[in-house]
Amino acid sequence: MPRNAAIVGGGHADWGKRAATWKDLAQEAGKATFDDVDGLGPDDVEGLFLGAVQPERFAFQSHVAPLAAELLGVDVTKMIARTELACASGQAALRYAWLAIAAGQLDVALVLGVEKMNLGDDYVAETQASMTNVLDREFDGVNGLNAPSFFSMFAQRHMHEYGTTREQLAKVSVKNKNHAANNPYAQFQQEVDVDDVLDSYPIAPPLCLLDCSGITDGAAGLLLVSEEKARELTDTAAYVTGSGQSCMAANSINNLPSFSAWPQATQAAEEAYDQAGIEDPVKELDVAEIHDCFSISEIIEYEDLGWVEKGEGGQFIEDGRSELDGDIAVNPRGGLLGCGHPLGATGVSQALEVYKQFTGEVESARQVPDSPETGLIHNLSGSGSVHSVMTLARDPQ
Amino acid sequence: MTDTHDQADARPDGGEPSEDADESARRTISIPDSIELPRLLDFYDLQDADHTRIHEFYDRLREGSLSTTQCEDCGELHFPPRVVCPECTSDDLDYVSLPHEGTLFAFSTVRGSGPLGMTDDVPFVTGVVELDGVDLRLSARIDGAEYDDLAIGDPVELEVVDIDGPTDQHRVFYRFRPRGETA
Repeated sequence: MPRNAAIVGGGHADWGKRAATWKDLAQEAGKATFDDVDGLGPDDVEGLFLGAVQPERFAFQSHVAPLAAELLGVDVTKMIARTELACASGQAALRYAWLAIAAGQLDVALVLGVEKMNLGDDYVAETQASMTNVLDREFDGVNGLNAPSFFSMFAQRHMHEYGTTREQLAKVSVKNKNHAANNPYAQFQQEVDVDDVLDSYPIAPPLCLLDCSGITDGAAGLLLVSEEKARELTDTAAYVTGSGQSCMAANSINNLPSFSAWPQATQAAEEAYDQAGIEDPVKELDVAEIHDCFSISEIIEYEDLGWVEKGEGGQFIEDGRSELDGDIAVNPRGGLLGCGHPLGATGVSQALEVYKQFTGEVESARQVPDSPETGLIHNLSGSGSVHSVMTLARDPQ
Repeated sequence: MTDTHDQADARPDGGEPSEDADESARRTISIPDSIELPRLLDFYDLQDADHTRIHEFYDRLREGSLSTTQCEDCGELHFPPRVVCPECTSDDLDYVSLPHEGTLFAFSTVRGSGPLGMTDDVPFVTGVVELDGVDLRLSARIDGAEYDDLAIGDPVELEVVDIDGPTDQHRVFYRFRPRGETA
């Protein structure tokens, strides 16, 4: 019988262009995590799971999970691993920690995500080269397309096939960046309006600069514990109720079947909904942190996570259904568009946000109303060939 | 060394410079200004038989022909070329020629910062080309046109390019350009 596992707290380093090393960021997130949880310290941690995508290139450092263990004074007694699944690496770390606890292997896991991406203004090409190579370097990376250019083709095709409008894309950025304006660790804390988005530099048309998440230094941590341990520590936890993943046999652009849909998001979501007993996600989910690496991504996800019919994602944002007081409050954290996207840290941060929404500890301007009790996190990775979905709830089933 | 000794050595110094602050007496150690890598690390593979088992793809491309592998057992057409069929795991694969003409399925432009080695190319166009007559879509650079001059469905044709780079090996790759536009 699998055991329940729950998030009982966590914390962040400040995100942005940081005058700090990979190791500095790991230490800041670790401290913030242990400071947040009364009753658990480094000596209690039995397993350490660390999401990190490219420390070998960005920080010239490998074997990073044991390095983090040293930095945080954690003597790991049960299980340690670094996870690399591009933009979903943080959620992958959390998923493995959950599985280890569910399987009875350990009771207390530290889940971290750390990424150092800004190497200085003169070295952006290094970061772009590394990002390009999450696809097939020999046949995709060689063509030089960066993330905005890749996702702009999804915007182009979605507009072409379904009539999604430029303004609908902008509304996603406006919503999420305005949430981030009230998030003290976010990279981008300025409110914007639709005209600001449309007037920003058309960096990869139809996408403009404000349709894009950032290149971000950041780290996040959380403690995931068994239900028994959680009940000793707190009355309010975020229990993992479902977790699904799907990856098509097509990482290269050369083999993607669609540039307007992510069928793997649907499969991963259905898997998680099924485990969580969710039949009508729009009615049953109160808060969702989904992968808005670009404004178009969030619109496609409304559709492929099963919230609206295919092609109606643009209408979903236009009708305000993803606002804080809408059908599902989407990205109250500020999303990747507002918080930035330190690759390995994002999934950890999203899950922590759902927990903080449950406990009511977030800034009031971005608190989801009426005491949210159910949530979801979603990440895509690489070419969108992989999708990861996890559902969370205040009460385990 | 005992713990007691450690603690005595590490007493706070109040931020004062230590006793050996004379920098002129310090030794300098040297590291090279640049480090030569033992193997080429650019976007293009080394394309000969000593380095890759899909060298026939590059040999044919060097001769001006785009090709790929097809599975002799199940008939699956691959791209990129493989050494094992992902459909049936057979390694009995044959090279077949591909059409050089197609249409633009999607396209974009890189205007911000390009990857290493491509920053001087910015702005450039990349896209996805639906090849005529086969069920393949290729990721490729689109040369010979500005982003604003292109539309979904535009006819394009393949161009083989030589790569002038940090190796004596004659490397090649492919790009597409609007049909009828010569370089």
